[in-house]
Amino acid sequence: MTPTLRTSPDNAAPHQSAVLSRTRTSTRLVPIARVALSEYSILILAVLYFLSMWPFIPELGSRANLTNLFISMLPLLAVAIGQTVVLITGGIDLSVTAIIATASIVAARIVSDGNGLLAHHPAAITAAVFAALLVGGVIGLLNGGAITLLGMPPFIVTLSMMMCVSGGTLWYTHSTNIANLPDGFIAIAYGAPLGIPLPLVIVVLLAVLVHILLRFTLPGFWLYAVGQNARTSRISGVPVRGVIVLAYVISGVCAAVASILLTARLETGSPTQGDKMLLDIIGASVIGGASLIGGKGKVIWTVFGVTLFSLIANTLELLDLQHFTIMMIKGGVILIAAGLDVLRRRLNFGN
Amino acid sequence: MTVRPRDIAPIIARVAPMLLLAAVMIFFSARSPGFRTLGSARNILVQSSSVAIVAIGMTLVLLTGGIDLSVGAIMFVAAAVAGQLALGKLIPGAGPAPLWLCMVVILLVGLVMGAINALLIARLRMIPFIATLAMLFIGRGLALHITQTQALNLPPALLTIGQSSLIGVPFPIWLLIIVAATAHLTLTQTPFGRQLYALGNNPDAARKAGLPVARLLASVYILSGLCAAIAGVVSVAQLGAISPTFGSQREFAAVAAAVLGGTSLFGGRGSVFPGSILGAVLIQSVESGLTMTNADPYIYPIVIGGIIFIAVLIDRLRASGETR
Amino acid sequence: MAEPSPLIEFRAIDKRFFGVDVLKSISFSLAPGRVLGLVGENGAGKSTLMNILGGVLAADSGTMLIRGEPFLPRKPRDAAAAGIAFVHQELNLFTNLSIAENLHLDSFPRRSVYGLRLPLIDRAAVRARSRKLLEQVQLHHDPNTLVSALSPGERQLVEIARSVGAEARLLILDEPTTSLTAPEADRLFEIIKRLRDRGVAIIYISHRLEDVLSLCDDVLVLRDGQVVSSGPIVGYTPERLIREMVGRNVDQLFPAHQAPATLKPMLEVERLSREGVLTDISFTLHRGELLGIAGLMGAGRTELARILFGLDPFDSGRIVIEGQPLIPSPRECIRRGIAFLTENRREEGLLMDDSILNNASLVALPLFARTPLKFIARSALRFRAKETTEATRLRAAGLSRQMARTLSGGNQQKVVLAKWLMKPPAILILDEPTRGIDVGAKQEVYRIIQALADQGTAILMISSEIEELIGTCDRVMVMAAGRIVDRIDRAEFDRHRILCAALNTGVIV
Repeated sequence: MTPTLRTSPDNAAPHQSAVLSRTRTSTRLVPIARVALSEYSILILAVLYFLSMWPFIPELGSRANLTNLFISMLPLLAVAIGQTVVLITGGIDLSVTAIIATASIVAARIVSDGNGLLAHHPAAITAAVFAALLVGGVIGLLNGGAITLLGMPPFIVTLSMMMCVSGGTLWYTHSTNIANLPDGFIAIAYGAPLGIPLPLVIVVLLAVLVHILLRFTLPGFWLYAVGQNARTSRISGVPVRGVIVLAYVISGVCAAVASILLTARLETGSPTQGDKMLLDIIGASVIGGASLIGGKGKVIWTVFGVTLFSLIANTLELLDLQHFTIMMIKGGVILIAAGLDVLRRRLNFGN
Repeated sequence: MTVRPRDIAPIIARVAPMLLLAAVMIFFSARSPGFRTLGSARNILVQSSSVAIVAIGMTLVLLTGGIDLSVGAIMFVAAAVAGQLALGKLIPGAGPAPLWLCMVVILLVGLVMGAINALLIARLRMIPFIATLAMLFIGRGLALHITQTQALNLPPALLTIGQSSLIGVPFPIWLLIIVAATAHLTLTQTPFGRQLYALGNNPDAARKAGLPVARLLASVYILSGLCAAIAGVVSVAQLGAISPTFGSQREFAAVAAAVLGGTSLFGGRGSVFPGSILGAVLIQSVESGLTMTNADPYIYPIVIGGIIFIAVLIDRLRASGETR
Repeated sequence: MAEPSPLIEFRAIDKRFFGVDVLKSISFSLAPGRVLGLVGENGAGKSTLMNILGGVLAADSGTMLIRGEPFLPRKPRDAAAAGIAFVHQELNLFTNLSIAENLHLDSFPRRSVYGLRLPLIDRAAVRARSRKLLEQVQLHHDPNTLVSALSPGERQLVEIARSVGAEARLLILDEPTTSLTAPEADRLFEIIKRLRDRGVAIIYISHRLEDVLSLCDDVLVLRDGQVVSSGPIVGYTPERLIREMVGRNVDQLFPAHQAPATLKPMLEVERLSREGVLTDISFTLHRGELLGIAGLMGAGRTELARILFGLDPFDSGRIVIEGQPLIPSPRECIRRGIAFLTENRREEGLLMDDSILNNASLVALPLFARTPLKFIARSALRFRAKETTEATRLRAAGLSRQMARTLSGGNQQKVVLAKWLMKPPAILILDEPTRGIDVGAKQEVYRIIQALADQGTAILMISSEIEELIGTCDRVMVMAAGRIVDRIDRAEFDRHRILCAALNTGVIV
C-alpha cells in the first residue's frame, strides 16, 4: 500500500484507498468461491443439513424414515436427470409433469384389472411399461421437433405442450383415477430382488446410462457444445437439431420412468400425477448446478441436488408443516440456489 | 420486383393477431347467436380487463428480455391481504377495514412483491425465469397461509363497485383504459419507455451507453407487480370472493396475451396498444366463445395451449422476416 | 507557440490481474486538438488502459488527471460526465430504434408546459438536433430512419454523431474501420480531422498502421503493458511501428509460397446465383492453390462462402467437389473435406466458455467415436489436439484448463484453426482470417496457411486487406455487387487494379 501513496499526489489519496478496498473484497471472496465452485458443495451442504437437523428431529435418522426418503426421492431423481439433459442444451422442459400424468393414465388404462385394455393378459405389464415409455418419448419428440423445426423458444413450446397434454389427459379421464392395478405392476415399486428395492435399481441404472452418455459418448459431447453455442456447433458439423430432439426425448422417457414408479407406488393411474412436482424438478436440477443458460450440468450434481431438496422436504414433513409453508420454503431454497448460480458465474468470470 | 413467399410471411405475421381475432369472432358468431350481441362484446371486454392489465405489466418486462412468472401469485397475495383486512381477520381485534384502505393495501402489496423481484433480478442479477418462478411458489404459499386455504367471501359492497359504471363504461374497463393509456404513453413518449426498448434490443450496448440498466430493470418488475395488483382489484371486484386458486396460471395467460399481440420473448419488440390488449381480448373471446357454445370445459386448456403455440409460431415468422 | 496544457494526463498507471502485471507505470498526456494513435499487439494492454479511462476498471496505483484535476471514474457514467466518449469496435446501437432516438437515448430533450418539465420527449427538438448532428457527420438520412435499415458504415457514423452530440472533449475510437468500406473510412477520417480542428482530443486505436500514420499527430506504442515509445508521428514508419510493437524485426511478414505445379481441380463452382446476393459466380479452386477473394463489404464474399458451406440457400448453379456434385450442408461439407473459418470468431467459431481441448475437438469428434456405441477415445483425442494446437503455436496455460474466452484474439483464432486442422481438410475456406489479431499472430496464421497449401490443401481466402491477399495468394478474384468483376494472377498483382475493380460496380464513391 505504501508505494501507492508514494506515487500518487496527496489530493488523490482518498480515492486510491477506495480503489484498494474494492480489490480487497474480491480477494476475500476466494475461499467462499472454492466452496461454491466445488463439485461436491451441494453434497456437503446436504450432509451438514442432515447433521444439524437430526438432533431436533430424532426420527429423521430412523431406518424407516431414511428408507422412505430414498424411495420417495427416486421418481423425482428420474425426472430431474432428464431435465438436466435438457438444461445442458440451454432449453427447459415444462411438459414433464404432463408427461408423468399421461404416461400414468396410459399405463393404468392398459394394465388395470378393472377395465384395462389388456386386463389379466400375461403381457399386460410389459405392454403398459413400454406404452408409458413410448408416450414420454413421443411427447419429447414433438417438443424437440417444434423447437428445432419451427425455431420456437423451448419455454413456450413445452408450456403449451404441458397445457394441451395434461388438458387432454384430464378430458379423457374426466379427472377420475384408474385403480385396481395388478400386483405384478405394483411390484415395480415394492419389489426387492436380492433385497435391493427395484425402483432403486431402475433409477440407478437410468442415472448411470445418462451419465455415460453425457461424459463418454459423442452425443454427450455434442449436447454440451450445442448448449454453449448452437451456431458454432452447427458450423462445426454438429447435427444441432438431432441433438436437441434427443435431449427432449431423453427428458420425456425419464419422466415416463418416474411416472411408472409413481403409478406403481400409489397403485393408481391419475391424471394429476406429478402435478405438484414441477418446482421440485427444476429446483433440484438448478440446485445441482445445471445452468439455465445452458452448457453446464452433470448427472452426479443432479443427484446431489435431488438429495438436498428431498432431505429438506422430508424434514419439513416430519415437522408437520402445512403444505403451503413447505411451498414457501422450497421457493426460498430455489432462490438461494439461483443466488449460488449467480455467485458461481461471477467468480468464474472473475477468473 | 417479384413477390416471394419469404417477403409475404412477415406481412401476414404482422396482421395475424387481427386475422386471428376476426376468425375467432366469425367462428363463434356462426355457432352461437348470443356471441354476436353487443352485450357479449362488452362482456368479453370486461372479463378480459384483468388479464389485459397483467399483460400490460408483462409487456414491460418482456420488452427488457425478462419474464415475470410471479404475477398470478402477486395478485393472490395482494387480494388475500386486502381480503382478510376487509373481513377484519388480518389484525386480531381490529374491525373490518374500509374498502378504500383495502384497495390501497392491494396496490402496496403489489409494489412490495414487485420490488422483491426487482431486487433479485436487477440487484442480485438472478435469471428472471428462476427468480420469479421461486417467487410464484413463495407468493402462493404465503397467500394460502394468509387465507388458511379457505375461500374468502368479501363484503357485497365490493361486487357493487365491480358492476358499477361511469358514463356507461364499466369500472373494470375504466381501470384498463387508464392503465393502458399510461403504459402506452410511457412506452412511446417518454425517455424511460424508449430506454426500455433499447435495453431489450442490446443489453451490453445499453450498459456501455450509460443507461441506468439496473434502475430500468427494477422499474419494470415493480410496475409489473403493480399491474398485477391492479388486476387483482379488478378480479376481486368481479368475483366478490377469493378462492385458493385465485390468479392461478394468470402468468401464462398474460405471457400469451402479450406474445399474441406481437411482443417478443427475446426483448426489444412489442407494444401495449394495440398489442397486448388485442392479445388479451383474443384469449377472452375464445374462452367466452367456448362457454357460449357449451363446449366441454375440459377442452379449455387444450384450446388455450394451442393458441399460445400458434401465437409464438407467428412471432417466430415475424422475427425471421425481420432478419432478412 | 507554447505547448498547450494537456487535456488528459496519465501518471504511472499500474494494473495487475491475479498477480500478473497488465499495465506497468503507464504515463503520457494528450493535448486538446491532437489525434493520438494507440498501437500495440493484442494483449499489449490497450483495452485495459482504455477501460481504466472509461471507468470500467480501476487502476491499482497511479493517477489520471483531466485538465490538471484528478480524475477517478468509478463507472462508465463518470467518464461520460467528464466528456469522454467511446466508439467501440463492435457497434453499440439499438437497431429497433430510430437514428434520432439512438442519438438522444440518455439525454432526451423534454417537453415543458409553462416552465414545468414533463417526462415526455420533445420530438420536434430531437429531430432538429439530430438533423444538425447528422449534418456534421455528413449522413444524409431522415432522423426517423430505423438503425436496422443502415449499413455498417452508416451505423459507425451514427455512433460518432452520438459522441459529437455528447460534446465529448476526448473521443476514443477503437478499430473504427474494421467494418467500413474504403470510401466510408475516408469519410470517417475527414470527420475525425474536423473534430480535431475544433479542439477535441482523440485517441485512435487501430491495427491498420497506414491509417495511423496518415491520420494521427502523435503515437503511443504499447508492448507487454509498457510504453515502448511515444511522440509526434513524424519519424515513424510502418517498419518502426511493427518493430516496436513486436519487439523484433518483421522483415518477412508473408512467407514464401510456391504455386502448385499441376492443376488438379478440387472445387468447381458453376454459375452460382442467389437473387439479390450473388450473380453467376463461376470459378475453380485447385489442389495446393491459394485463391484470394477481394471486394468491399457487402460485395457478396462472405455470402458466397456461407452458401458454399451450406449455411445459406442458393437459387441456381452447381458446386462440384473433386468431380462429384455437392449438395451443401455443414455436415456434408465437412464429410467431403471442406473446412470453413468464419469471420465471426466469437459467435460462430468458438465455445467461449469451454476449454481449448473441447473447442479444438468439436469438428473431429466423430472420428474419435468409431465404436457402435459412439464412445469417445479420449486419450487419442487429447493427443491429436495437443499435436494440432502445438503445430499452430498456440500459447496457452493448459489444453483442458484454459477457457477460450480468456485467450487473446490471435490465440483464439489459432484454436479455431486447430479445430479445422484436427481432421486435415482438402479445401479450406477462410473468411477474414486475420481480422482483429495482432501482427505477430497474423504472421503465424500466414505461415500455417502456406504450410497447408504446400501440403496440397486448396484454400479460398476472403480478406479486406489487399496487402494480405497480394502477399499470400496465387490468384485473386475481385467481387463487387455479387459478381466476380476481375481475376488476377500473381504475376499481375496490383493494389491499384484490385481496388479499382472492387469499386467499379454499383458503388457510388
